[in-house]
Amino acid sequence: MLLDVRDLHVEFRTRDGITHAVNGVDYAVDAGETLAVLGESGSGKSVTAQAVMGILDTPPGRITAGRILFRGQDLLTLKEQERRRIRGAGMAMIFQDALSALNPVLSVGDQLGEMFVVHRGMSRKDARARAVELMDRVRIPAAAQRVRDYPHQFSGGMRQRIMIAMALSLEPALIIADEPTTALDVTVQAQVMDLLAELQREYRMGLILITHDLGVVADVADRIVVMYAGKIVESAPVHDLYKAPAHPYTRGLLDSVPRLDRKGRELYAIRGIPPNLTRIPPGCSFHPRCPMAQDVCRTDEPPLYAVSDGRGSACHFWRECLHGPDH
Amino acid sequence: MGRYVVRRLLQMIPVFIGATLLIFLMVNVMGDPVAGLCGERACDPATAAQLEKEFGLDKPLWQQYLTYMGKVFTGDFGTAFNGQPVTELMATAFPVTVRLTVVAIFFEIVIGVTLGVVTGLRRGRPVDSGVLLATLVVISVPTFVTGLLLQLLLGIRWQWISPSVRYGTLDELIVPGLVLASVSLAYVTRLTRTSIAENKRSDYVRTAIAKGLPRRRVTTRHLLRNSLIPVVTFIGTDIGALMGGAIVTERIFNIHGVGYQLYQGILRQNTQTVVGFVTVLVLVFLVANLLVDLLYAVLDPRIRYA
Amino acid sequence: MPEQPHQPEGAIAGTGMGGAMDLGASEAVTLERAPGGPPGTGPAGRPRSLWSDAWRDLRRNPVFLLSALVILFLVFISLWPSAIASGSPLTCDLAKSQDGPGPGAPFGYDGQGCNVYTRTVYGARASVTVGLCATLGVALLGSVLGGLAGYFGGTWDSLLSRLTDIFFAIPVVLGGLVLLSVVTSNTVWPVVGFMVLLGWPQISRIARGAVITAKQNDYVQAARALGASDSRILLRHIAPNAVAPVIVVATIALGTYIALEATLSYLGVGLKPPSVSWGIDISAASPYIRNAPHALLWPAGALALTVLAFIMLGDAVRDALDPKLR
Repeated sequence: MLLDVRDLHVEFRTRDGITHAVNGVDYAVDAGETLAVLGESGSGKSVTAQAVMGILDTPPGRITAGRILFRGQDLLTLKEQERRRIRGAGMAMIFQDALSALNPVLSVGDQLGEMFVVHRGMSRKDARARAVELMDRVRIPAAAQRVRDYPHQFSGGMRQRIMIAMALSLEPALIIADEPTTALDVTVQAQVMDLLAELQREYRMGLILITHDLGVVADVADRIVVMYAGKIVESAPVHDLYKAPAHPYTRGLLDSVPRLDRKGRELYAIRGIPPNLTRIPPGCSFHPRCPMAQDVCRTDEPPLYAVSDGRGSACHFWRECLHGPDH
Repeated sequence: MGRYVVRRLLQMIPVFIGATLLIFLMVNVMGDPVAGLCGERACDPATAAQLEKEFGLDKPLWQQYLTYMGKVFTGDFGTAFNGQPVTELMATAFPVTVRLTVVAIFFEIVIGVTLGVVTGLRRGRPVDSGVLLATLVVISVPTFVTGLLLQLLLGIRWQWISPSVRYGTLDELIVPGLVLASVSLAYVTRLTRTSIAENKRSDYVRTAIAKGLPRRRVTTRHLLRNSLIPVVTFIGTDIGALMGGAIVTERIFNIHGVGYQLYQGILRQNTQTVVGFVTVLVLVFLVANLLVDLLYAVLDPRIRYA
Repeated sequence: MPEQPHQPEGAIAGTGMGGAMDLGASEAVTLERAPGGPPGTGPAGRPRSLWSDAWRDLRRNPVFLLSALVILFLVFISLWPSAIASGSPLTCDLAKSQDGPGPGAPFGYDGQGCNVYTRTVYGARASVTVGLCATLGVALLGSVLGGLAGYFGGTWDSLLSRLTDIFFAIPVVLGGLVLLSVVTSNTVWPVVGFMVLLGWPQISRIARGAVITAKQNDYVQAARALGASDSRILLRHIAPNAVAPVIVVATIALGTYIALEATLSYLGVGLKPPSVSWGIDISAASPYIRNAPHALLWPAGALALTVLAFIMLGDAVRDALDPKLR
């Protein structure tokens, strides 16, 4: 296994108390595999990724329990120096908003070349040449000239390509893409996503794709985990999940996507609001919003039931949900 | 860029005229310009009338202003109370004050920025709270009190320095420069601290960490470069303010610079000294501001002047 | 008075990626960055506002409480100085010149043989009066001029901007020396008048910026679309939002005005004897600094403490009103 996250817990100390952002997450990614992590804001999907990358703001953040195994080695036991070497070279991250994620006062060539200077000890001249190659690789026109430009001089799609080039520069084994296309125009989204998928196949990288967009997931992901209130509520091969969700929350997410074949009907919306992470409801954290909730859901926290081989659901009534009638 | 400079230079003209006219009016309306011309004694009416005619003081004020400015542009700043041309006073006074300002700016950069970076990186820790409190105290104690205290302690009690400046050399100006810089230094510290603390949480710093860069490189190359942009502009605009604000410091340490000459000019109600010096100070202020704006474009590639 | 950090002219290019940002958020699931509860409610679920939040913060802030206490004490002794100091600050006995502490004079005597304690207590009145009146005047004049210019824009706005530029180009202490050197009045009013005259551009700039920001809010546009009058929009919708930055800057400025009054009095152009002011006392004591430093240190300490109290108060208010800094 390339990456194996086990029982990860992360909390934040805030003015209003302790925020339980991640409460026992398990997931794994293999080389060449794409894992989609789906969830609303505040579901803990980005915090988990930041913990894996080692870029969590500590304080206020704190990893209270769990292990993060990368190529069999627990990253949480490593010294900062050793972790730093893995960042960028072993695993890399693509952020949502490339405009703010790239340094506004350095040219893109400097920012790309920096990877080679720091990790590979290259001269600035060689690093600059590699930067041009990379920009070519992500299909930025006239790369040799544009290497001197600053991030604000590129369009949104081009900037995200630069972000991708930066993540790929040292050919890491794992890429974490945090909402890589959310900030882009719809037309550009597909291009960027295709490029990312293509490069992933070519380099046989593991890819963790964090998103709230079910449309993006269907095309590129192998497996999918759905997060809610810092926990995984459903984990499944992507096609199984789309065919028949085994958790009411997943079902709600799928139903709230507008679809052409349901044109004219009222769009479904999950009732209620995401839970306050300083005070997560007891029992199943989704119960206040769940259309199927019973008394047991208010008291007993559901484990991740094995639905089938390679598939799990954290719902007491996963059977009913899986086979249940369309509400 | 060229067009922008031209536009800014054009914008400077009304500000320059306004500021000098304002001072010209203040000095003339408030004081009796003739009184200063007869030295220590009061003028007798006949001499006064003759002097008024000689200096064109019987004409309307706006005409006097135009005549004066016309002369200024040919390099004639008039005569000081002791009969010396004002330009001669300037030639001795400005080098001293410029040296004093350079010392002050040096302290702002070295002490202010360093403290700001250290505290900005350790926000909320004891160092931070301590320095923050110290800056508040420094801002709160008026410059003349800071100056008198340092003079008392360093100059009189411990005799490390001479309590008054004799030649205006750089080593004599260290403590006066520190006094002149004190309030701005505290502001630079606070500004740098805020800027660093804000940028520390920015996305591009997170990216730099995710790239696996060493902490030192993240700080110097990514964090500092961005955070210092507002600091540089503050220090730039402060140059003019320091030169004009040197009156108090120069008085305490008996430095014969711009502030001293201005103070003398005001006491003796010598219009030409005061207006002349202020004119030059306003020019320095405006040019410094223009340079700061241009520097801003160099530091931040996002700024484009058109 | 310190300048605000300089904002150069010229547009920041490339930050307005508007269209691309909106599309992503129009999904069924909304995006929100920070983990935590829904915004807009406190831990107890009650509604929050900027002011009640700020007040809740301030009540718990020891810096605020301490500086407020000092300021209350200062106001008290400037109203009733005789409550804690006996005798008149003007009764001096040259025989006691530069004497150390004695009965009824815990701080000793100055060069003129005046009771330093009594003079220091009585000196508070000048500082507090000048500080409060100048701040009030500056805040009123500055926010009215700046607010109107920001709201209506156009010619008046550019004219006002140039005018503030002119005032900013004149060093404050220098302006004070020139204007006040010929004033013979013994009251605080010329000093206050001078501060209002040279201080308003600082507030006007802040108020103008705040009004322009508030003006662009959707609810203001909505009020306008519904036909609200200019005066109603300004008073009901914009003023409440623009007043916070003005209050913050004005509170900090209050401290600097007190320092400025003392500086001008030290230079001999602010208040003049027989007025009682810390600046005058410091100035009078500086020739005797070698033998009687106490005559300088007590008024200087009182002055520094006063300015510190106002600046810390302003700082605490700013922190409370500016959630970005948390």
